[in-house]
Amino acid sequence: MASAANANLNAVRETMDVLLEISRLLNTGLDMESLSICVRLCEQGINPEALSAVIKELRKASESLKVSENCTN
Amino acid sequence: MASLDQKSPNVLLQSLCCRITGKSEAEVAHQFQYAVRVIGSNYAPTIERDEFLVSEKIKKELLRQRREADAALFSELHRKLQTQSVLKHRWSVLYLLLSLSEDPRKPSSRVGNYGALFAQALPRDAHSTPFYCTRPQSLALGYGERSAGLSGSVGTSGISSLGVYTLNGPTPTPQTLLAGQPPQSAAAATQPLGSRLAWALPITSSPSSALAPPTTRPSLGPPVPSARLVRPRRDGDAAGEVSEAALVRDVLYVFQGIDGKFIKMNAQENCYKVDSKVVLCKSLRDTSSRLAELGWLHNKVRKYTDARSLDRAFGLVGQSFCASLHQELKEYYRLLSVLHSQLQVEDEQGVSVCTESSLTLRRLLVWMYDPKVRLKTLAALVDFCQGRKGGELASAVHAYGKTGDPQMRALVQHILSLVSNPILNFLYRWIYDGELEDTYHEFFVASDPNVKTDRLWHDKYSLRKSMIPSFITMDQARKVLLIGKSINFLHQVCHDRTPPGKITPASKPADTPKDAAELLSDLEGAFQEKIDDAYFDTSKYLLDVLNRNYLLLEHLQAMRRYLLLGQGDFIRHLMDLLKPELARPATTLYQHNLTGILETAVRATNAQFDNAEILKRLDVRLLEVSPGDTGWDVFSLDYHVDGPIATVFTRECMGHYLRVFNFLWRAKRMEYTLTDIWKGQMCNAKLLKTMPELSGVLHQCHILASEMVHFIHQMQYYITFEVLECSWDELWNKVQQAQDLDHIIAAHDVFLDTIISRCLLDNNSRSLLNQLRAIFDQIIEFQSAQDALYRSALEELALRLQFEERKEKREEEGQWGVTAEQTAEENRRIQEFQDTIPKMRSQLRILTHFYQSIVQQFLVLLMTSSDESLRFLSFRLDFNEHYRAREPRLRASLGATRGRRLSNI
Repeated sequence: MASAANANLNAVRETMDVLLEISRLLNTGLDMESLSICVRLCEQGINPEALSAVIKELRKASESLKVSENCTN
Repeated sequence: MASLDQKSPNVLLQSLCCRITGKSEAEVAHQFQYAVRVIGSNYAPTIERDEFLVSEKIKKELLRQRREADAALFSELHRKLQTQSVLKHRWSVLYLLLSLSEDPRKPSSRVGNYGALFAQALPRDAHSTPFYCTRPQSLALGYGERSAGLSGSVGTSGISSLGVYTLNGPTPTPQTLLAGQPPQSAAAATQPLGSRLAWALPITSSPSSALAPPTTRPSLGPPVPSARLVRPRRDGDAAGEVSEAALVRDVLYVFQGIDGKFIKMNAQENCYKVDSKVVLCKSLRDTSSRLAELGWLHNKVRKYTDARSLDRAFGLVGQSFCASLHQELKEYYRLLSVLHSQLQVEDEQGVSVCTESSLTLRRLLVWMYDPKVRLKTLAALVDFCQGRKGGELASAVHAYGKTGDPQMRALVQHILSLVSNPILNFLYRWIYDGELEDTYHEFFVASDPNVKTDRLWHDKYSLRKSMIPSFITMDQARKVLLIGKSINFLHQVCHDRTPPGKITPASKPADTPKDAAELLSDLEGAFQEKIDDAYFDTSKYLLDVLNRNYLLLEHLQAMRRYLLLGQGDFIRHLMDLLKPELARPATTLYQHNLTGILETAVRATNAQFDNAEILKRLDVRLLEVSPGDTGWDVFSLDYHVDGPIATVFTRECMGHYLRVFNFLWRAKRMEYTLTDIWKGQMCNAKLLKTMPELSGVLHQCHILASEMVHFIHQMQYYITFEVLECSWDELWNKVQQAQDLDHIIAAHDVFLDTIISRCLLDNNSRSLLNQLRAIFDQIIEFQSAQDALYRSALEELALRLQFEERKEKREEEGQWGVTAEQTAEENRRIQEFQDTIPKMRSQLRILTHFYQSIVQQFLVLLMTSSDESLRFLSFRLDFNEHYRAREPRLRASLGATRGRRLSNI
């Protein structure tokens, strides 16, 4: 039982590594944590199109936020 | 981190928001709400769920970026990923990564900006209309699923191809627009553009474009160079020349049937034309006129739907045809609106951004190619369907689907499925409930409300030949008519209140257009089966009801037994009883007396064991009396039919039965008469031996009588065995095998027709019948002649005996036996009687001569008759060639026919 869980854990870790590598290749700008969140969302059947739109929008928002902060500073 | 535990999407989303913006949960509340909204509103993906395709796209993307090594590395990683079974939605993750990917050699900020803008706009746009997602799956006409490998643009229905078109047509252009926006260098600008186009297209349109690019016509490859060619003209607008952008705007209006600034409707030529005053180069003028054709086609279709959709008399089928046209137009409008918004975006960007991706006439020409074909088809359809309605309309649409072009077929098939839906609904209501709700006379079963229930089966319902859709065969239509008719017959005539569900257990009247489409694609299979099932069940039920509750078969047998004289003992006894009554003049007959006699006959014979229901219907009927008729001429048996069985035994049928009965009754009477004659001969033979002077006459009588007996016997044999029994056997077999009431009715009609014609009652054998009647008359005459003969002979005999007796008595008394006076008187009387004998002889001779000549004529007619059984009858009647020896014509014709028959062999 424990070994099975262990094997599963290993598999998950390996998968995440591979995905991170692909992400890096494609220059998506996702770090490990956001990637894992995204993967989990995708696994729950979220529309990847929408998800990518959200991420892009979030980035844009944070960027503009930073710009405005810079201006105020 | 490593465990993929199931948290709710909202929690995950929130942490994602925090993570990306780098703020706390409270601060990102706004962004989080936005994220939830976007995700929630775009639940179903608009793209192919195919991992292979996504990975191919990623590779292509990497290759476009000249990163071949990375592409190889990716394939490796992907393979590794495939070996793991942790992820269920690999394509989804890959797709996400792909859409987030950025070209490292390009400033990312703007791309991010616009990417966000449009990536968000794209799916939302896609979901604002129900057709994008629902149609391709629900309308699985040709192919079950839009699985990978099948090209979506070819396989799915007509609509979906348009839907895909609107997807892959204009929507990618905004993305391409921004790609080229800040051109670093010409090479750098075109390359990412190409790559973006390449991936934007396959994702939205169909997988096949990635595998086999030439199949998708709207590929954006070709327009790029052409756009470049046009551009110089665009940039350097000559003084009076109209810019292409303005033309594009105009063309977009014309697409909707609205006159533009330069392109206007020419009322005379009935087409859109570029204003001749406008200065334009020829190629642009040509292109815009070619595009303007769409406007004309659109107007045509639009005019038809506008005119018809308010016309209530156009009927349900027509309405659904209009609706389907409307649907097509709606798709077309959607495409136009996308084009318009594209134009809008261009305007907002200002003229400066008009690059390869902007709208040009040529690009429009390519993009609008498919819609044009579709509109053309629709316009042709509209032309073809002008003035048709109901099933005729469906036939017209169906005829259009046979061009062989799969795209056109899909389009027409879709329209047809909508158009035929009301027809199929009629059909199901009709075959399962027997109800006809056809206000506009569109269905192919017509009902005549003026027909009463007694003629319901025969006259009430009929087929409207013109309204039978061409995809329904005549045989099916006939069955459909029969099914509903049977149900109505059960309800209205048999008063059978069984719910229709019990008759046909597999009833499923509620059908959607989808089912209609399925049925259309499988007309030979499921549809035929459905109709056959309903047909068998309903017909079987109807026959069961008729046999069980209304004793149809028993009535049929009763007809044979009573009206066709099948019940021998009963008929004989009835004749015995009726003889004294019928010998009287017809005017002195009374129906009630005869009815009483009939009942006596029934009670005395085997008929009494028959069903009371049948005996109740048996009755006497007196035909119209003409002067000089005896009872024999007007008497007839009758059989009352009413209710459901009257459908089989119609008024005409009963008329036929009556005629046949009269013929048979007459023939029977001849037999009866001859029996009487024979009886008289046998009884009197001994008595009259004492009168040797009569022997010659009596011999003549015997000869003639036996001649007649032979004739009548052969006739009776013919009628019984060759006419009645044969036909009856045929009828009975057919009735036993009958599947529906129509079969029984037809078999019965055939039976009656056969009997009528074989009994010489039809028009063709009128001369034969006349001869036969004459023969019958001779028999009656002979009977009376012989009766008279016997009467006078017996009278004479009695007188002689009386004389002898008296003589003996006197001698006993001791007187003279006879006086001379008495003897003289006696001798005188005897002499007188003997004088009458030659008169009798000559009378008999004349009778014989007449009779024989009539029989000879009859035989001649029989010989020339076309009916084989009648020719055989003639052989039997003249088996020893007695008549042939006397009649030269008979000899000739006999020889001739024999010769002919030999030569035939």
